[in-house]
Amino acid sequence: MKRILLSIFGVLAVALALLAPAYAQTKGKVYYMVPTLLDEFQTGSVSALEMFLKQVGYEMQTLNADNKTDVQQSQMNDVIALKPAAIILAAVDFNALKPSIEAAMAAGIPVVEFDRQITSTPSAFTSVAGTVEIGYVAAAEVEKLLTSKYGSVKGKILQVLGDPGDPYTLDIQKGFEEKMAAFPDVRIISLPAMMWEASNAGTIVADQLLANPDIDLIFNHAAHLSVAAAASLEAAGKQPGDIFMLSSNGAPVGLDLIKKGWMQVEVEQPLYAQAAAVAMFMDKIVNKQEIKAGEYDVLGLKSTVTIEAWGPNIKIPGAAITMENIDNPAFWGNLQPPTDTVTSVP
Amino acid sequence: MNPSTRRALEFVLDNLAWFMLLAVLVVFSATVPNYFQPGIFANIVEASSVLGVMSIGLALVIIAGHMDLSVESVAALSAMAVGIVFCSAGIGIGVQLTPDWLGVPVSLLIAIAVGGAVGAINGLLIVKLKMSAFIVTLASYIWVRGLVLALSGGRSAQDLAPVIRWFGVQRLLGLPLTAWIAIASFVVFSTIMSKTRFGRHLIIIGGNENAAFRAGIKVDRILILTFVLAGAVAALAGWLLAIRTSGATANLGIGLLFNAFAAVVIGGVSLKGGVGALPGVYAGVLLLSAINTAINLMGLPATSTQLIHGLLVLAAVLLDTLKHQLRQKLA
Repeated sequence: MKRILLSIFGVLAVALALLAPAYAQTKGKVYYMVPTLLDEFQTGSVSALEMFLKQVGYEMQTLNADNKTDVQQSQMNDVIALKPAAIILAAVDFNALKPSIEAAMAAGIPVVEFDRQITSTPSAFTSVAGTVEIGYVAAAEVEKLLTSKYGSVKGKILQVLGDPGDPYTLDIQKGFEEKMAAFPDVRIISLPAMMWEASNAGTIVADQLLANPDIDLIFNHAAHLSVAAAASLEAAGKQPGDIFMLSSNGAPVGLDLIKKGWMQVEVEQPLYAQAAAVAMFMDKIVNKQEIKAGEYDVLGLKSTVTIEAWGPNIKIPGAAITMENIDNPAFWGNLQPPTDTVTSVP
Repeated sequence: MNPSTRRALEFVLDNLAWFMLLAVLVVFSATVPNYFQPGIFANIVEASSVLGVMSIGLALVIIAGHMDLSVESVAALSAMAVGIVFCSAGIGIGVQLTPDWLGVPVSLLIAIAVGGAVGAINGLLIVKLKMSAFIVTLASYIWVRGLVLALSGGRSAQDLAPVIRWFGVQRLLGLPLTAWIAIASFVVFSTIMSKTRFGRHLIIIGGNENAAFRAGIKVDRILILTFVLAGAVAALAGWLLAIRTSGATANLGIGLLFNAFAAVVIGGVSLKGGVGALPGVYAGVLLLSAINTAINLMGLPATSTQLIHGLLVLAAVLLDTLKHQLRQKLA
């Protein structure tokens, strides 16, 4: 009995020690519903949003859904009861969260869609790079790479998706294949890395190198998958550059692979700008003021606000990172947060 | 049934996982384009290294009549610990030892120490405080993965020291050294289980813990040691995983637990404890890897691969159930 009680107190003491409440005078508390923290982009989005929101006077609290839709729905219900100044939502599931968004908006809590666009119901603001557009940018880069090799766009592409249950990867695939359909001499083999797990991507690459030794290019839907893909290429005796590789999201590991020559292009999601845009408009969002359509300068990137059926939507262009521009500090993968302070849009 | 037919049937039943593996390899070789080639078979063995080693630890605990749900997270924590210390990019601090080769035993020791420590915590809570193994190891599954996230901050460690990565690149008889490490682990632990007192006692404990205690077997000590071993072996799997992917990500190894359970069950280990042998588990692991490779080569729509994978695993488990029914009829 004594040992059980001691164990309970020990575990509780450790758990309590990890709770460090922050008290500060702010314009209000904003909740960020992050889909997962097992991904460098998402982890980066937490620190970027926190930093920019603090600059415009808001305190941010993050809740992690561990990629579980039901967990995020419960979190939304809990947060609605707390009546925060606003909710920033990066939805695990684009459709399943619709009722939760509607409930929050009905309760007078503005919901901001971050990174993952939900068009089926109105929200207060949307800040996205556009996942389909990432596919477009990737396709344009593939076009250049294959042309540099063959003089025309032809060859075999291995496309390593993320988890097939994640709309994020399906959207990138949609955009990529939509553009690549213009090139009938290109064959695309698409396989999913279940649960976005890196070693699954490594296994796919190892198998496909044997089944299709004439693969010209590998397109991984996340940079961390490229790490395992490069490891498989190395284990198969390939040298950097023997097979073109590109991936998306712009994580630090992707930039490192470009520097080492294993990868040629990383299609970055403009993480800092996406987060900064949310902070720039937060006063208007919280005070329910009109957000006007037009061009805005977000951390030096020309971004366009349009008024869509689902509300004001800012789209920030993603960029292709190559060896030529890799050191640009604007890329979040370089982990140099912008020194410029964000100010609220008047 | 005459004695020779009976012996033949019992031989097949005793080694059903291997026969299933053989059948699957023949069917896939005949039907899946590009499947039948030495490189693909080498890939199957290579891809099963991590899962195989992890399944050893899980099988030991299940044979002892308990459960360890923490092995996947332990592997991830060990991989991350090795990644942080020995990777030179991302969150890796790139520790360099002199001479270089010291990186191999030191990284392995770090991994095993991490895994052994988690295993010891599990074992002590389960054996000394008489807590449910399912609940304790479920908690460990969660908090250990949480620790991976806390340590890494969600970021990844990349570019593992070449001296350690060498095990994933260097090949012997067409197989990378990581695969040989997995095979050696199976040989060592199979020998321990069949030829040592520890192995025999573990099976007796799994069959009936009270009877084992009354027979004078030091049940508590053996069970704690088994949990420590399961943690240490899972950590070895994590070390191999870090080598295979040249680093570690916060979600590394996610989903491996379910495959490890499937491999253990297909391999003939009873979830009730007291029954099972490790060679069968290795056959189960290879079977899963063979199925996975076939799916990779079939060119199926991405959205249906998981369904097919699940159905094929279910078919394998059903065959195993059929085996038990046949064995009961033979008895």
